[in-house]
Formats: sequence, C-alpha cells, structure tokens
Amino acid sequence: MTTTQDGAVATGGDRAPAPKDPKAPAGPLRSRISPASLWRTVGPIAVFVLLLVVVSVLNPSFLGGGGVTILATQAAAILFVALGQSAVLHVGSIDLSNASIGLLAAMVLALTLGPLGPIAIVLAIAVATAVGALNGVVFAVTQIPSFALTLGTLGVLQAAALVLSNATTVYVTGNTDLLAWMFGSAIAGVPAAFVLGIVLAVVFWAVLRFTRVGHGLTAVGLNESAAIFAGRRNRLLKTLAFALSGFFAGFAGLVIIAQAGAASSFGVGSDLLLPAIAAAILGGTAITGGVTNPITVVFGALTTALLPIGIATLGINAQAQSLAYGFVIILIVALTATRSRTAIIK
Amino acid sequence: MTDSDLITDGRAAGADVPVLRLRGLQKRFGQLHALKGIDLEIRRGEVVGLIGENGAGKSTLLKILTGIQPADEGTFEVNGERARFRGPRDAVAAGIGVVHQEQSLLLHLSVAENIQMHAADAGDGVRLGLYRWGRINRRAQKVLDQVGSKLDPRWRVSDLTFVERQMVEIARAVAAGTDANATPLLVLDEPTSLLEPAELAALEKEIRQIARLGSVIFVSHRLDEILRVCDRVVVMRNGEVVADRSTDAVGEDELFELMIGRAAKAPEREVRAATGEPVLEVSGLTRRGAFHDVSFAARPGRVVALVGTSGSGREAVCRAAFGAEGYDSGELKVAGRRVESWTIPKAIAAGLGYVPSERRVEGMVGGMSAIDNLSLTRSGALIAPGKQKQQASEWFERLDVRPRGPKLELERFSGGNQQKVVLAKWLKDQGLKALLLDHPLRGLDPGAGDTVKREIRTACAAGIAVVLLPDTLEEALEMADEILVLRDGGITAVYDVAVDAPTTLDLLEKQL
Ligand SMILES: Nc1ncnc2c1ncn2[C@@H]1O[C@H](COP(=O)(O)OP(=O)(O)OP(=O)(O)O)[C@@H](O)[C@H]1O
Ligand SMILES: [Mg+2]
Repeated sequence: MTTTQDGAVATGGDRAPAPKDPKAPAGPLRSRISPASLWRTVGPIAVFVLLLVVVSVLNPSFLGGGGVTILATQAAAILFVALGQSAVLHVGSIDLSNASIGLLAAMVLALTLGPLGPIAIVLAIAVATAVGALNGVVFAVTQIPSFALTLGTLGVLQAAALVLSNATTVYVTGNTDLLAWMFGSAIAGVPAAFVLGIVLAVVFWAVLRFTRVGHGLTAVGLNESAAIFAGRRNRLLKTLAFALSGFFAGFAGLVIIAQAGAASSFGVGSDLLLPAIAAAILGGTAITGGVTNPITVVFGALTTALLPIGIATLGINAQAQSLAYGFVIILIVALTATRSRTAIIK
Repeated sequence: MTDSDLITDGRAAGADVPVLRLRGLQKRFGQLHALKGIDLEIRRGEVVGLIGENGAGKSTLLKILTGIQPADEGTFEVNGERARFRGPRDAVAAGIGVVHQEQSLLLHLSVAENIQMHAADAGDGVRLGLYRWGRINRRAQKVLDQVGSKLDPRWRVSDLTFVERQMVEIARAVAAGTDANATPLLVLDEPTSLLEPAELAALEKEIRQIARLGSVIFVSHRLDEILRVCDRVVVMRNGEVVADRSTDAVGEDELFELMIGRAAKAPEREVRAATGEPVLEVSGLTRRGAFHDVSFAARPGRVVALVGTSGSGREAVCRAAFGAEGYDSGELKVAGRRVESWTIPKAIAAGLGYVPSERRVEGMVGGMSAIDNLSLTRSGALIAPGKQKQQASEWFERLDVRPRGPKLELERFSGGNQQKVVLAKWLKDQGLKALLLDHPLRGLDPGAGDTVKREIRTACAAGIAVVLLPDTLEEALEMADEILVLRDGGITAVYDVAVDAPTTLDLLEKQL
C-alpha cells in the first residue's frame, strides 16, 4: 500500500483485475461516537452533577436536609414546560406561549376541579393540548414565524387568564385530594410529579428514537425540504410539535394546582417561560432544530432549579443573586448548548 | 529578516517560482486518514486537472488550500511564500479564488453583492463604509462579461436558476482571484457537474483564458472534459497522489484505470421493447411559463430520458409528476388512473421515487445518519433499529458506499457517496414502481457512476419504470430506450432508440 500505485497500475497491463478493494476506507469503519455528540449527552448531566457537588460543599446540610425533594419540587413545573418547548425547538420553531398555556390549564383546573372532579384533570390537559394544536394549525397554514405567532398567542392567553380569574386568585373549591399524590408521595425522596415528568421524558425519547413520526420530526427540524421530498407531511408534524407543547404544558398546570391549590396570573407558575427555555437549552436542545434528547432535558430542568438555590446559599443580596444567576446561565449554556458544526448561530 | 529577503529574491526569480507548492499535506478526520501526505506543484499558467474517486480527498485538499480547514501536517507555499491561512479571507488575499462543490451564495443578496463580498478588498465599491452601488454593479458586470454570462448584476440570487447561480459562483471566484495582484489561482471543485453543454463550452473557454493570467486547479469527474481543458492531470486515490501526467500522454481509459484501479467496462446496453402498461403517464401537461403540452409514458423496465438545456422545463415537468410542483392543465395518470391534487406523499404511496438534483437541499438530511436517511421514506409507525441496520449494511455493500459507516451523519460522506445513499433510499422499497431521476450521476466519479448505472439497469430489469434527466447527451444515449427533447418547455422531438437511435448532433440540434 505504501508503494506508489502509479507504476504498478500504469505498467501492469497484464495484471489480474485490480483487487476489488484496494482502498483503506472501504473496510467497515467503526462509527465511534464523536466527541461532540458524546458531550451532547454527557454535558448536561455533568454540569448538573458538578453544580450539585458545589452546592453540597457550600451547604453540607443540603442533601441530608431533604434537598433532593426541594429541588425536584422546584424543577417539576419547569420540566414539563421544558419538554414541551423541546418538542417545538426540535422542529426548528419556538413556542413563547406554552408557559401561559400551562397557567391557563391551571386556571381551568382551579375553576372545575371542585365541581367536576377527575374529569377536570382530563379537561385541563385537553384544553392545553387543543390550544397548542391551534397554535400549530395557525402556524402551518399562515406560515407566520413561530416567534411572532406565539408572542401573539402569549398575549391572548394572558388576557384570557385575567378574564377567567377576574384578575384575582382562583382557589380550588374541593377534590384537592385528587392531586395530592403529586407531591404527597415520593420515590426515593423524589416527588411523584417529577417522576411523572421523567416517565414522560422517556416516552418522548422513545418516540423520537423508534417511531416514524419521531424521525419525521427530526428530519423536519434538520432539513425541512428534504423531509418534504421524502414524503413527510411537514405541516402536520409541526402542528403535532405544537400540540405536544400544549400537552406537556397541561401537566405543568396540574403541578401548579397541586403545589399552590390556586391559580392566578401573577402567582405560582406565572414565570415559567424563561426558566423552561433555559432548561431545554441546558438540556442540550439545539435551537436550530433536530437535536433534542428529552432525557437530558430532565437534567437541564434540575440545573435550572438548582441554580437559584445554590446562589442563595452564597448568602449575597438579592440583586447580586440575579446577577450571578445571569452569568452562570450564560456560562453553562456556552458549555452545553448544542451548536451546529459550522460557525452559524441563530 | 533574512527570511523575507530570501522570499523577495525568490519572487525576483520570476516565472520559475511555482504558484503553489504543497509539501506533505496530511489531514485526518477521527481515524479516517483523508490525506496521507500530498506533494504537488502548480506552475504559472497551468491548468491542472484533479481527478479521483468519490472520497479520494479532492475536496478536502481544496478546502485546505482555500483556508477553510487547516492541515494536520505539512506546509504549502503560494507564489513562493509560506501560506498560513487562518480563514478563507486570507486565501482570497493571496489570490486564490474558489468555487466549492456545494453552492455558497447568499440568496437574498444581489449578484453584484455576492461578487463584491468575496473580493479581497472592497476597491472603490465602498467608501467610508458605504456601498457605492454604481461601482459595485459595474465591477460585477465586468467579471460577468469575462466569464461570458449574460446575467444582470442587480438580480437577486434567489431568483436565479441553479445553473445561473453556478455562473455567479464562478464569476465570484474569478473576481477574487484576479483582484489580488499576485498571480491568481482559480480553484474549481466540480464546477461543471451542474452545467449544460452550452454553458460548459463557455466555461472551458474561460478557463483557458484565466490560464493566461494565472493558474487553475480543476476538479471534474468527466474525463473527456479534463483531457480537453487541462495541461496536466493529477490522479488521487485514497488520500494519495497516485499519478501525475501530461494530458498529451494519457487517454481516457488509462485515467479511468488509474482512478478506480480497474479497467472501464464498455457500456452495455440492451434495448427493451415498449411493453407493459405505463406506470406513469403524462399527457398534455402544461404550466404557464414553465412547460406546455408535454406528454410521455413511463413503462415498466424502460428508461425515458428527457433532454434539453437549462431553460427547457424538463426539471419542472419531472417535479410536477412527483407532486412537488403544480400544473395548470393536462393530466397525470398513475397505473392507468387519473390523479387529482397530486402531492408528494400520494406519489410515494403510489410507488414513485424522486432523486432531486439539489442533493444537499432536497435529497438528504445531512445531520441524520445514513441509516436514518435510508428509512426516511418508509411507511409504518415503528422503526426496528436492528432490521434497519441490516438493510443499511446490505445497501452499503451493494453500492460500495464508503466509508462503511451507516451510523455516520450523512453530511460527513463525500458527495458521490451521499448520492448512492440517496438512491438507495428509493431502491430499497419493495413497492417502488417508477423512479424519477434528476441528474442522478451528478458528482459521481466514473466508477461510482458505473455502479449507479448498473443499479438503474437492475431496477429496470426488475420492472421499474425510469424517467431520467441525464447530465450529458452521451448518458442519454447510453441509458435510454426513449429520448424526448425539450426546448422552451415544449417537446421538439421523440426518439425510440430501438428504432431510430439519434446521434448527439441530432439531439443538440433539437434543443437549441
Ligand atoms: N468533516 C468531515 N468529517 C469526517 N469525514 C470527512 C469530513 N470531510 C470529509 N470527510 C471524509 O474524507 C474523505 C475525503 O472526502 P472528500 O470530500 O475530500 O472526497 P472527494 O474526493 O472530494 O469526493 P467527491 O468526488 O465525492 O466529492 C471521505 O471519506 C469523507 O467521508
Ligand atoms: Mg468533492
């Protein structure tokens, strides 16, 4: 192989037909995982573990004193909204309205749980899914950029929540035991609500990995034209992504009610949008689309929830806390965010 | 200090200094050794052809020369000066203009802006940071004239056809190369695989002209073209230079053998009779401004070729038949049934497959693995990774896709190997009845081209109907049972190859 093949081939008119396989790369190439895609999976987990270690060192009583439970409780609502956001980011769009969908679901639940009981839970999720799907349909039909469209929906939903609640706090009037399991029971200190989030994340992961629909979502996110030419129904798939966003947000609505027993436009769960986007990105979701791992998003949510707790243990004043929060978020995103290989950044 | 003195001395020595000298360039991608030590010299005024199989490392080499990727080892000199390119801009400043294998124009800017953006210095087109449109446009006009293009510099690139964009790419490279006052070196990575015969002739003339000012490195898979245009041809195989010949002393067959390692097979062809009911029948198909009254039938086991220049409308007809674009009147029959509101999913469900000419944009999802690309057209709800993997290995083996890494992201394969995967995506489907192939051999080396042609024939033998938009007229004559010539959107001639085989000249005459 090291001799120049020029002479051999040029003069070797009477040589047996050249071996079929004179080229090295023809052999099976063990497709090792590239460092980039390995970090994509490991990065979000490593960052969380590192942060957890730092917090435990600064505050040795954190882990012993029920820190895990506190953390998972804080992270539950963020996780659901982040999973929804990931679904939309996965097809290359963004949903700025999904946290508000979660709040709307909470509102619906607060108003109906007393009178309707279990049906209210189904209703809340159904309403959330329907609003998400409606977002998707309008998006697919009008082709308005998702950023602008969902910013509009966000406004509409906030108004709707104010009207529904009469601009006050709506308290649940009964049947609160139906949601008590979410934070009343736990597995190894992790509240059931968060366990449910993990289960949904695993299911979502399996859908992306093993189903035709999942592959279609990925293809649309990476190269929509090619997906279309392979016969994938891109608009339907995008609508589905938005419906999923609503669906997951509906669960965030359940969490809000289970935690607060009430819903309002300004109380618990009214500030989930940005933490959830941060959690999705810290979880390795690429905002350019096509790269999402719902399981690492779980760690993204944990990191997002742990950060303020960790910073609070530093014992600095409130302004400095949000300053630190901002810096650390930028730092972690720089470490974990999935970028395209080229130098293009959206 | 003494160093630079030496260099000045070298310059003074004049024409003896090669425009480009490579010494032991190496490049690895993970464990793949893409370049294994390349030594090469390009002299002033020379047109050097660079050929090699798909994946031989041609593009990788050119990317190093143009500052896009650094080499792992080795050095190179441009006009006697050691080059240390940190980015494409440095390469342009050194007088190297490039047309990459994949187009890289900014679609929303005008032709002139695209040309301007790549220039080493803004010239008088920009003063105090402000664009001076008149000058920018005039400058672009001059370059466009130089390359024999009739495009208006003020047009937006997104309104141009693929072929017109390619001309802009070439004009831009020429501008970049000639602006720097050093001896320009024009690097062209398969610029002609997208061009039609008439434009080809213009480009070949242009290349000869640039050779009077500077030098050209020219990558192509068309050996006849290489022999016509180049003074010297360098053959790469498997990351090494395996031959370096003067074009006077070498023939097409020998080049083929040097590249592939085996002799070229004489094209085999058997003419098949027109039997069987048409799988796909197009009658009187018309779309205003694109094509009118086009009729043909694709029958099992037969190849229908549509030939024509870039404005002939044949691509649009093909896309309409696949449901990717609409039509105003006429009818489309699939398996004898007239179809309405035809869409891509319906076409695929009916057993049609389409290989688009813009592979990277429409044919493949680069960020997905080859396996996942293969299964993109699959029906059914679930995906069985084991079965998928086995099928992928089979097709990789059958089409000799290299490297044999179906789990790698498809964008990491060389152009030719990507195309094989795109083709396999359709061939693997049991239900496939008709294949619409828009320039399927584009970017394939002759060996890979043979493989793909063989697969098309095998598919035909298995009863699949093929509609082919060939790259060249020779390809049409070699592959087709029936040839339709289109001009300005209408059919000007139909030949049944079994009865009256046309000559290339006949075909050329009918399309111009
Ligand atoms: N970014 C990359 N990462 C990994 N492998 C790469 C990368 N770029 C190229 N390669 C590999 O390097 C080898 C050489 O590729 P290259 O694109 O230079 O081939 P080429 O000679 O231009 O082929 P073609 O005629 O098909 O364009 C191929 O095996 C290809 O898969
Ligand atoms: Mg190449």
